[in-house]
Amino acid sequence: MKKILALALSLIMVGTLVSCSSNTTNQGAVTEDTQAQTTQAQKSETYELALVTDLGTIDDKSFNQGSWEGLVQYAQEKNVSHKYYQPQSKETSSYIETIELAIEGGAKVIVCPGYLFEEPVFEVQSKYPNIKFILIDGEPHSGDYSVYKTENNVMAVLFKEDQAGYLAGYAAVKEGMTELGFMGGMAVPAVVRFGYGFVQGADAAAKELGKTINVKYHYTGAFAATPEAQAMAASWFNGGTEVIFGCGGAVGNSVMAAAESAGKKVIGVDVDQYAESNTVITSAIKQLGNAVYSGIESVYNNNFPGGKTSVFTVENDGVGIAMEHNKFTTFTEDDYAQIYSKMRAGSINIIDDVSVTDTSNIKDSLTATKVDFVG
Amino acid sequence: MKKKHLDISGFLSSILAIIIGLAVGFIILLICNKNQAIPGFQTIITGAITHGQKGIGQVFYYATPLILCGLAVGFAFKTGLFNIGASGQFTMGAFGATLIGICIKNLGQVHWIVALLVAIIFGAIWGSIPGILKAFFNVNEVISAIMLNYVGMYLVNWIVGSWKIGGKQVLFNSLRNESYNVSQSAIIPKWGLDKLFPGSSANSGIIIAIIVVILIYLLLEKTTFGFELKAVGYNKHAGKYAGINEKKNIILAMLISGAIAGLAGGLVFLSGTGRHIEIVDVVADEGFTGISVALLGLSNPFGVLLAGLFIAYLQSGGFYLQLFSFSTEIIDIIVAVIIYFSAFALIVRLFIMRIHQKNENKEKKLNKSDKKRGVE
Amino acid sequence: MSDYAIEMLNITKVFPGIIANDDITIRLKKATIHALLGENGAGKSTLMSVLFGLYTPEKGIIKVNGKDVKIKDPLDANAYGIGMVHQHFKLVHNFTVVQNILLGVEPTKHGILYFKDAREKIIFLSEKYKLRIEPDAYIEDITVGMQQRVEILKMLYRDNDIMIFDEPTAVLTPQEIEELMVIMKELKNEGKSILFISHKLDEIKSAADECSVLRRGKYIGTVDVKNTTKEQLSEMMVGRPVELKVEKTEAKPEETVLEVKNLVVKAEHKSKNAINDISLNVRKGEIVCIAGIDGNGQQELISGITGLMPIVSGEIILNGQDVTHKSIRYKNTHGLSHIPEDRHRDGLVLDYDLQKNLVLQEYFQNPFSFKNFLHHREILNYSNKLICEFDIRSGEGSFTKARSMSGGNQQKAIIAREISKKPELLIAVQPTRGLDVGAIEYIHHRIVEERDKGTAILLVSLELDEVMNLSDRILVIFEGEIVGEFDPKKVTINELGLYMAGSKKQIKEVEV
Repeated sequence: MKKILALALSLIMVGTLVSCSSNTTNQGAVTEDTQAQTTQAQKSETYELALVTDLGTIDDKSFNQGSWEGLVQYAQEKNVSHKYYQPQSKETSSYIETIELAIEGGAKVIVCPGYLFEEPVFEVQSKYPNIKFILIDGEPHSGDYSVYKTENNVMAVLFKEDQAGYLAGYAAVKEGMTELGFMGGMAVPAVVRFGYGFVQGADAAAKELGKTINVKYHYTGAFAATPEAQAMAASWFNGGTEVIFGCGGAVGNSVMAAAESAGKKVIGVDVDQYAESNTVITSAIKQLGNAVYSGIESVYNNNFPGGKTSVFTVENDGVGIAMEHNKFTTFTEDDYAQIYSKMRAGSINIIDDVSVTDTSNIKDSLTATKVDFVG
Repeated sequence: MKKKHLDISGFLSSILAIIIGLAVGFIILLICNKNQAIPGFQTIITGAITHGQKGIGQVFYYATPLILCGLAVGFAFKTGLFNIGASGQFTMGAFGATLIGICIKNLGQVHWIVALLVAIIFGAIWGSIPGILKAFFNVNEVISAIMLNYVGMYLVNWIVGSWKIGGKQVLFNSLRNESYNVSQSAIIPKWGLDKLFPGSSANSGIIIAIIVVILIYLLLEKTTFGFELKAVGYNKHAGKYAGINEKKNIILAMLISGAIAGLAGGLVFLSGTGRHIEIVDVVADEGFTGISVALLGLSNPFGVLLAGLFIAYLQSGGFYLQLFSFSTEIIDIIVAVIIYFSAFALIVRLFIMRIHQKNENKEKKLNKSDKKRGVE
Repeated sequence: MSDYAIEMLNITKVFPGIIANDDITIRLKKATIHALLGENGAGKSTLMSVLFGLYTPEKGIIKVNGKDVKIKDPLDANAYGIGMVHQHFKLVHNFTVVQNILLGVEPTKHGILYFKDAREKIIFLSEKYKLRIEPDAYIEDITVGMQQRVEILKMLYRDNDIMIFDEPTAVLTPQEIEELMVIMKELKNEGKSILFISHKLDEIKSAADECSVLRRGKYIGTVDVKNTTKEQLSEMMVGRPVELKVEKTEAKPEETVLEVKNLVVKAEHKSKNAINDISLNVRKGEIVCIAGIDGNGQQELISGITGLMPIVSGEIILNGQDVTHKSIRYKNTHGLSHIPEDRHRDGLVLDYDLQKNLVLQEYFQNPFSFKNFLHHREILNYSNKLICEFDIRSGEGSFTKARSMSGGNQQKAIIAREISKKPELLIAVQPTRGLDVGAIEYIHHRIVEERDKGTAILLVSLELDEVMNLSDRILVIFEGEIVGEFDPKKVTINELGLYMAGSKKQIKEVEV
């Protein structure tokens, strides 16, 4: 009796669910065209500019936030409606679902911050030819990496990390430091480029100053804040290292924690990380906001650089170090402007071959620097 | 007829918990944005349906791990155990599936089946450890299972992150900072659900989950093994007195519970939707949402099925709420509130029974006074 | 002033489906002990709940000291000087005796707890009423009897003049029961009025002045205890003449079914042996009774034999087969049936319905299951058959949750299950504990019937009446050893009491 009742109840529930679904599917088939309109009619607003987060929050002090700031800047200047959307889960299908939600919400331009969107953008780019996609730090490709294709409605954005790293290393040595450290997350190309640039920039400054410097160089193997990373950073600081370039997600937080207790300095990465810790003297940054801003602007100026990859470098103010909140004492804005324009002019040559990651391929070019690669 | 009240009160309590949760959610919407509160609320309730086949397909897709994790927890509840380690078992299942999906080639048609079986085995092993500890050393399963959530997470992180053969990462795609894609042959089939729900990620996982729900129901209600599991769950002393091997029961119950959670992990990571193992210090949510699902479903397999579908449905509704100008945190809060109230389903149940009793008394009184009046 | 401390006049309380109290009137005279007698489910508890404001009656008046009162909750009752000792004590186990007594009325001085004066008052009260307590001992460390005295002191400390004792002897040893009777009379002499709820006729005879009888929610009458016999009381209670003496023929014991040799069992969580070198045997067709004061190893002896506790050494032979190291399941399926002491803890799965409980020992066998799948229809048929045969009463028959059944019917269910297995050895531990006369009578008859069918029966009982009535042979257990073996026809209760208390001991003879 009891079981029959329970069974009946559950059957009824399932039944209603199924009937609901079949009803709406029929409806959907009939009113497929009008559906988008009706759902739009339900709500009061649409949002022209959209950003889909990579599951993290919008104030992640990283890609989401940096890109969003560029979007908001344009939207406010030109008074365009804008909104960000969060996916339900960190997976390709969920990103696609969220992109489609943004389209349903009236988006004309969708900013996708981070390489995680390479595959989702690849999937949707030809399905929605009238929607513009700005893919930050990645290029659309298929799930198995066999096909790389950027449609005309997609702007793929990459950065020259080695330039940002170079400027950071240069500034640190110019500041007077001679014992440097580089602590990367995993040896992915972007991290290696940051690291190689950092070493070469430091070397250039040392040459100018006629000093010899030491750089300790290590990949922690993960983008997480771990006790091991913190312990290693602490031991470096104890051994005399003055500043560590913490390069790779939360690895920087481990380095900052170590620096705080040792009273030493840190160089941040990707975005200006001054707010994370007082020990951050500057950050090697990708100007995410600038890239997003210029991308959106180009859409409205009808010169959208779709179908290809746009590399952001010092030439188009795409990379640099954060000077706004710097804690340098000797390295000045002028010094920065000088080296920046020199780099802009193209007179600085940085080795950015990341096929080898253990610095052995750049060691020969260094004259005033001893690199200690910690494997 | 008393019996009927009891059953319905269980069902009603879940419904009432949901209604209270929704009401609180609506109030939050009102506070945040008066103008959009009503259409926003509508979207939460009907979001998945108004997005047609795709929306419903997505609900099925997201519901799959919730149903299975809820079933894992609910099944353990039925046998008197609190499997708070579904998260770790889920992770181990995900790892097992990913491992087979990446490393083993040339299995052809049965690749995905093998990968799922390994996911089940890994989850079962991870679930049976707290069971063994409890059976033989009287270690509280809650504590050991919580610990194993972290052990599992770090173990998987460590193996995925550092396993190299000949200097090459075996599982880890360092370019994308996550595990490699599994082979195409390891991806679970769609069984026509992609045609039924075009544009969604729905796949055979939901069907497998429903089959497992039915199997667990049969196991619990129709077999001597289920009889023993529940007997020990309700009263282990009586179980021992009746000659039931309590130790064996505890271990097997945890093993089955872990196997179900492991299957959940396998189904998610073999769904071909782009879920990968990442090296982050976060234990899988699914296992904990499973606890809410089990509570809302009153640990009954079919109740869990409905509860899992409902929570996934609600989360979808919350997702579509982004079409309005509510910040995404609000959506999380509302969904959490509803789940939270759902967890009170049992308390609500007592409440309903009490009200029911009072009403019955009142009715009796009223009837009596009516009669009296009639006589007068 | 009225002659009555409490008058409950024409109380009617209806629950869905049953009338728990139907026009009941009881009057408690001042400075007397008034017994409230009735079987389980007769409406005693409901009536007391009405008195304490837990239920509102549909009809009826309550008067305290002659004045109409409205009692809405237990605090009101306390304000009228009514206190109660519950069957299950309401004490905080990790508090001391004094702390428990003061709980809720903590004395303070300048806002800070101040126990000194209160403690002295408690000691004064305990001396005045001869309520032996250890004021600073923790509840978990003292005996059940002392816990009950603490409950009584709680009432005295609160100056309650009207005291209600709800089945106070259910948890006490014979000695403690005697002591309680003395205390109650002492309280009466000090002017307290006592309402004494019980279904044990001996106690009512020895302590009460008047007795009101309830049966199935109805008021049967109030009698003067002195002029009423036990037989009359029990007839009022049950509604028909009851055999207080078990009718049974001479035992005809045959071959040995159970033989226990040199059994040693360790006490749980303790290093000492609870059972020390016990040997005994039970033969077909006889009832062997283990008599003793609670806690002298009865539980460990039975647990050792049935396998619920591991044994240290010794041998257990069932039907000529050594089953010392066999599993519980093996013994259960090879002729052993066990009616456990604690039916809630061991005997039943309270959340299972009656039919499942009735096959708890046999669900895995034909016809109740086949190839690991249960046969629900067979289980239901069997259950219905037993319900009929053993007259197990419950709201929804086979589908009743065991939890919602009355104690007597729960015990009937266990007995039905264990007897229907057709055991060769039936071990029954306190099979009538907490049951009313009707149920006790029934169970005693069943046990004798089983004996006459040729079952060997090992009975453990704390009640000497039961021991004397049922057994064919008595073994007295004291501190884990058998200190004497007696023929019930040749021994007196007093004699047994001396052995049980350890003051006498037979020299161990080698039995044949």
